[in-house]
Amino acid sequence: MTHMHIPDGILPVSLWVLGLIVMVFAAGFCLFRLRGMDRVKKIPLLGAVSAVMLVAMSLEILPLAYHINLSVVAGILLGPALGFLAALIANLMLALMGHGGITVIGLNTLLLGSEAVLGHTLFHLFKNRISVFWSAATATVLTLFMTTLALISIVAVSHIRPELISHGDEHGFLHNGQVSVRTFAIMVISLGSIGWTIEAAITGAVVRFISQVKPDLLDHALHRERDGR
Amino acid sequence: MIDVARIDLWAAGGFGPFHRASVPAKIIFLLFVVSSAIISRNPYPLMTGYGVLLAVAAASGLPWFRVMGLSWYAALFAILYAISFHGGWWLVALFIVKAITPSFAVLMLIVSTPYPRIFSLFSALLPEVLAAGLFMTYRTLFILLDMMDNFAAAIRLRGGFSPGSLYKNSANISKGIGMLLVRAVERASSLYAVMVVRGYSGSMAEQGTARFKREDWLPLGTGTAVLMLVIVWK
Repeated sequence: MTHMHIPDGILPVSLWVLGLIVMVFAAGFCLFRLRGMDRVKKIPLLGAVSAVMLVAMSLEILPLAYHINLSVVAGILLGPALGFLAALIANLMLALMGHGGITVIGLNTLLLGSEAVLGHTLFHLFKNRISVFWSAATATVLTLFMTTLALISIVAVSHIRPELISHGDEHGFLHNGQVSVRTFAIMVISLGSIGWTIEAAITGAVVRFISQVKPDLLDHALHRERDGR
Repeated sequence: MIDVARIDLWAAGGFGPFHRASVPAKIIFLLFVVSSAIISRNPYPLMTGYGVLLAVAAASGLPWFRVMGLSWYAALFAILYAISFHGGWWLVALFIVKAITPSFAVLMLIVSTPYPRIFSLFSALLPEVLAAGLFMTYRTLFILLDMMDNFAAAIRLRGGFSPGSLYKNSANISKGIGMLLVRAVERASSLYAVMVVRGYSGSMAEQGTARFKREDWLPLGTGTAVLMLVIVWK
């Protein structure tokens, strides 16, 4: 559901600036964690997974017209640090295609990146207890639920000072100055819950397919190799 | 989502004044338009700005009609957000133009600038892992889109897509994505190995992208005009 990208000029400046700052620190931390990685193996993997995320976002599942984003798959395959960077790359590419704002790359990356980090963590928590399919599917549902709550929180925080966005009272378009985060939350959760189920089924099936065809991609030890340069 | 391959074709195949302008000038143009959307509290100047962008795009030989259609993708979240405010038409209109105007400017940039020129600017600003990751994503994306088209055609020919069956469609799409992922990793690994052997070390060989040109008057003038409209017309 966090694939629903927030355009420029909608959110208060303080919020997206904070998002950018936190995103820069998070990306810096990820780059620090990756300083010893095997670039010849990891950069193509990063590019391939980010590209697959973008292609998946272009697929429409009929009859619901739902778009998946595969951020949990990215987290499972790349690990939390590279998964976060894959989310950043996907958001940068999307912003460059006019699909999501430039100023809100920070917030969008934090949302999508937290899906990769949470997805990775939850998958590894479940994988020794239940099958690969159900581990990935459960991790996806829980992750998307939590990041949707984060999306609602962003909207709630941005509603604290609506006058930052527009001169509401001046033009009389705010009823008693009240805003309804509840309406937004109901819309996003009701539409999103259908999406979480689809995304969970697809993520589970993709991860199971990879575990059968190329299991080394799921071997996280690969991500700790040193390039020896 | 977006027809990435078509955008790349427009960017590489045009010869209009916007295509000839330098990348930094177009980035400044974009920053001006994004700033206009941020500071605007009235939909009318932004609507006029959107009209100015449309006129400039049409006059420059950019695919303005397609770009206009693509820019409206950004309106979806804006409408939801505006509805959550219980606002009237004014607020909905403001949020929509705040979303579609910068989106149109971004699209004007990318349909008039080949990606390698944008990436060469990025590689000067971003850490190597991110710059290389962006470039690999871009290179892999076109291969994947082609593979996905073939996969979709094969599935349709074999009766794999049924509009009424969510389960069947999801199962087939999952297998396609899994196959795509495995092949993408293999292709990207081979590609990167070849690039490293040929001396690639995270930076692009494109030269002269950071210099301003005489043709820059168009993006700089357009960006300034949109920003002035919003500042003056409050």
